[in-house]
Amino acid sequence: MPGNLMLLMIQLLLFAGPLVLFGLVIGRSVEKRHFRRLDKFEQAHQDFLVTQLKSFPMSSVVEPPPSLLVAEVVIASDYLKSWFAQWRNLFGGEVHSFQTLQTRAKREAVARLTQSAIRQGYNAMCNVRIEPVDVGGALSNRRSPMAAVLATATAYHTDRAV
Amino acid sequence: MIVTNTETVAGYDIVAVCGLVQGNTVRAKHAGRDIAAGLKNLMGGELRGYTELLTESRREAMQRMLAQAQQLEANAVVNVRFTTSAVTAGAAELYAYGTAVSVTPSY
Repeated sequence: MPGNLMLLMIQLLLFAGPLVLFGLVIGRSVEKRHFRRLDKFEQAHQDFLVTQLKSFPMSSVVEPPPSLLVAEVVIASDYLKSWFAQWRNLFGGEVHSFQTLQTRAKREAVARLTQSAIRQGYNAMCNVRIEPVDVGGALSNRRSPMAAVLATATAYHTDRAV
Repeated sequence: MIVTNTETVAGYDIVAVCGLVQGNTVRAKHAGRDIAAGLKNLMGGELRGYTELLTESRREAMQRMLAQAQQLEANAVVNVRFTTSAVTAGAAELYAYGTAVSVTPSY
């Protein structure tokens, strides 16, 4: 543990300073913009029915036949987030910077499912499943923290008013 | 071919079960993508190279699964699931599996 602390100190002095600043300025704005885009998308598609129920709750289904939707999202951490997480590692507790990263990946995945369903002419989807995936054995690579998810759902076209 | 991740297909009846169908692919990410990812890790944002890699792998695995379903003369695959596993550092497997069935419209 003292070695870990030493490493953090050396990092801070030598090159973390400018990189943390980089994360603070660019990383923050990228995240803020992403959340704004997600908020806007979710608000615009409020009438699109999304459930994670195993089967479609309303039996009235019309053409086209139900179909599988898949979406992948991989989002990178920024230097500031990774650096915060390293500090968290010393004291333990919630790593808030990575929590928002995971949230972004998951909300983006559902947004992409919705988008591809609408493009194919569907107006509802059920059985939404979101799971973490391993990109090229990347989970073993601790140098580049990332949130990678694969989401699946089944799209329906229903004539029942939701 | 109707493909769903639900156990049944709403509006259709399953008349025959053909069995488990599966497809997988192991892909390595190339060094160029790693370098781009390294840069992205400074400022955050989506790792498009990795997202594309996942999309390619998923399409390949699904294609192999659907080819099996066609061989079994099924017209639908239900309860499709995807999983990934790391084979070594730098290569991961994407595996798609489902149950091939025959369906007819129930209306």
